[in-house]
Amino acid sequence: MSIAFEPVKLATPFFIATVILEIVLARAGKIRAHYETRDTAVSLGMGLGSQVAGVLTAGASFAAAVWVYQYRLFAIPMTAVWAWVALFLLEDMTYYWFHRISHERRFWWASHVNHHTSQHYNLSTALRQTWTGGLAGTWLLWLPLSFLGFPPAMVAIQKGLSLVYQYWIHTEAIRRMPAWFEAVFNTPSHHRVHHARNPRYLDRNYAGILIVWDRLFGTFQPELDEEACRYGIVRNLGGFNIFRVAFHEWIGIVQDILRQPRHTLGWLFGPPGWSPDGSRDTSARLKAQWAAANPAAAEASVPTPAAPQESRAGT
Amino acid sequence: MNTAFFIQTAASGVAIALLVALAAWAKIARPGSPLTDAYARALFAQEFPGRILDGVWIAGDGAGAVAKSGGLALVLCQVGDAYMARQLPWAQALAASFRDGRVRIDLADAGAPCATLVMPAWPPQGLEKVRGVRAA
Ligand SMILES: [Zn+2]
Ligand SMILES: [Zn+2]
Repeated sequence: MSIAFEPVKLATPFFIATVILEIVLARAGKIRAHYETRDTAVSLGMGLGSQVAGVLTAGASFAAAVWVYQYRLFAIPMTAVWAWVALFLLEDMTYYWFHRISHERRFWWASHVNHHTSQHYNLSTALRQTWTGGLAGTWLLWLPLSFLGFPPAMVAIQKGLSLVYQYWIHTEAIRRMPAWFEAVFNTPSHHRVHHARNPRYLDRNYAGILIVWDRLFGTFQPELDEEACRYGIVRNLGGFNIFRVAFHEWIGIVQDILRQPRHTLGWLFGPPGWSPDGSRDTSARLKAQWAAANPAAAEASVPTPAAPQESRAGT
Repeated sequence: MNTAFFIQTAASGVAIALLVALAAWAKIARPGSPLTDAYARALFAQEFPGRILDGVWIAGDGAGAVAKSGGLALVLCQVGDAYMARQLPWAQALAASFRDGRVRIDLADAGAPCATLVMPAWPPQGLEKVRGVRAA
């Protein structure tokens, strides 16, 4: 099954043109951007592989949405403006929770981690997409929208639009957008924080399009001039093998379970970096250590309500 | 899957090759220099905040470093224009294989299975002078 309007496919020429533009302008010294050749190859290769993997799994997830849609609660017309506004908000909130669970629980982190494995932050990084999202089953989170009554094709289009929106924010070329825009929307500045491995920036800014969800659910962290973002994961990868990028966390999970099968649930669904003996670091521990060592800065940081604060400490 | 899909995939593959070639031509990776003692210590401080380093050994080509910190070995390895870091028990690092001027440290990590560093000797020279190490 497929839909006629696929935002990601339509935007591909735009992706290519803007990566060219970013490289050329950076080379000319007009904007800030760094590209490492092998890193770029991996990011783009992951993007292509993700499209191929998507073709294999999209049929199944779309079929599931169509099946759920049969039992819909309401008949929501695809042609009504209010329906699109409602879907925009609901889909974006779904994305927030999908993204948050993808960082806070290792099983879903295993699928999402690849997006964070680059130590660079440029437009090519945006295309470093998962190959194993179908396996991780996070597409289930979007089924309630079809159950509510949004046509599956409409949901798929909105998901695509969200992904296309998130492309342009992967850049260091734009420092800040106007204040009103930064207040409402996810921006390059907010998403740089999300890709940063500095302890104070870990597990923050899960937004898709609207940053308001992070402000609402206590995970917002503004980018600070005094703390430059260092990109990547807590334990950065040792090379540019694309299969390692795609599968290393899955392999790590399997190795851990084989070694200590009685901790299978913890290895699967604990926060990334969890271990039975506490010999590894979770984001929560790294953040606590940082706060203890930098009390003044921690105090000055935006207060965040108590919430599970874990992950990015991939093994 | 149909012909259109294969054509699209092939076209994307060609586009990727061209973009990677453009990135290589542009030479806009982060400017880096080989590790010095001070640079390595700064990176260790960033990666392992608060850890006291008993000794630091820089790889001969400046592409990595090993530090001893109590019972731990801290390892830095260059990856492209950046670095990755790992820690492991010092005894495990000492047991690493050393051949042709390279020490190959098993990191037991799916994301970075091993670190290979150019070293004049292994165990590292001057280890006996390091705090906490008794003369053999
Ligand atoms: Zn993320
Ligand atoms: Zn991103």
